[in-house]
Amino acid sequence: MRTNTKTTTKRTTRTKAYAAGALLVATVLTLSACGTGDDSTTSVAEVSDTGPRKAATVLDRPFTKPDLVLTDTQGKSYDLREETKGKPTLIYFGYTNCPDICPLTMNNIAVAKKEVSKKLSQSELANLRLVFVTTDPERDTPAELGKWLKGIDPEIVGLTGDFDEIQAGARALGISIAPPTKDANGKTISEHGTQVIAFSPKTDGGYVLYGEAATVQDYEKDLPKLLKGQNP
Amino acid sequence: MRPLAGRVLIAAAVLVLTGCGSSDSSGSSAAKLSVESAYMPQPVTDSMAAGYLVIKNTGGTADELTSVTSDLAQDVTVHETTGQSMREAAALKVPAGGELVLASGGNHLMFENLKRKPKEGETVSLRLNFTTSKAVTVEMPVKSATYQPTSGH
Repeated sequence: MRTNTKTTTKRTTRTKAYAAGALLVATVLTLSACGTGDDSTTSVAEVSDTGPRKAATVLDRPFTKPDLVLTDTQGKSYDLREETKGKPTLIYFGYTNCPDICPLTMNNIAVAKKEVSKKLSQSELANLRLVFVTTDPERDTPAELGKWLKGIDPEIVGLTGDFDEIQAGARALGISIAPPTKDANGKTISEHGTQVIAFSPKTDGGYVLYGEAATVQDYEKDLPKLLKGQNP
Repeated sequence: MRPLAGRVLIAAAVLVLTGCGSSDSSGSSAAKLSVESAYMPQPVTDSMAAGYLVIKNTGGTADELTSVTSDLAQDVTVHETTGQSMREAAALKVPAGGELVLASGGNHLMFENLKRKPKEGETVSLRLNFTTSKAVTVEMPVKSATYQPTSGH
């Protein structure tokens, strides 16, 4: 940078210095953003903690818990609002003939719960309700749901019932599910929801969303807070 | 100021080159296929399972994955995920100098009516059939139900 001429006022000097400094900082940032970590002062852990990928989305306006009265895996009537009132609750809409995302999502939550149970007391976890609502009630009878959930975590509540009612309940949570259809070979094609919704034990509102990319570690980290209705 | 800016520009240019450059093979050599990152998450029941893998093609011609057979199930199909539903796919292309990725949340192999329920630590044998290339045999390891591959660079 050139030194100032005598006519330059102090103020201009300072402004110029700032501008140059800013330019340098900007350049460095740009470089480190696309560079391959040669910056030894930045720890990798720090970057991933503050990085853009955060599993939980906390909603400004929580969803009202849908008024769903369905059938559980025992064949008994299950009133969602009544049964989960004041309890931390996670809900997912999927189907058991789904090889990919549905078992992964439910297994992620189940394994996270198991991990958390090693650190928290039984009483702290006792109120947690994990609810799986089928989007394919024709195939997912109470018995089928029960068999499938037993392979994941027998404490998960499995619900089936009238498709229209399930669809309306999902829609109330911003989840759109089309009814199952048959393909050319007569195979049923169903849809699963795209997110897990956590309900607060304090307000009963659905206040946190998790997408399909949420991992065991994400749920494990957030569950202690969700149990208390806190923001993860 | 000027020399510094010049140096920075050079550094940036180098980074862009190394970061984004992808050497594309050209020419009309035959498809050359290899399979990596194969795994099956331990299924919940013996009624169905999913499988994932990446088929690389370092050759100069595209090929297509037409069918899959396995010792685990009579019925193995390639499924594509479109939005929230999954349906059986016709042949899937393995582009020249590219790859066909079957990954969780996307295209995947679906095994139905399993002969046994595979457990973590076991392997499942697969035979991938292609339009032009010879069939490829894959030993697919069974991982935990929540296994997620780390995306290596």
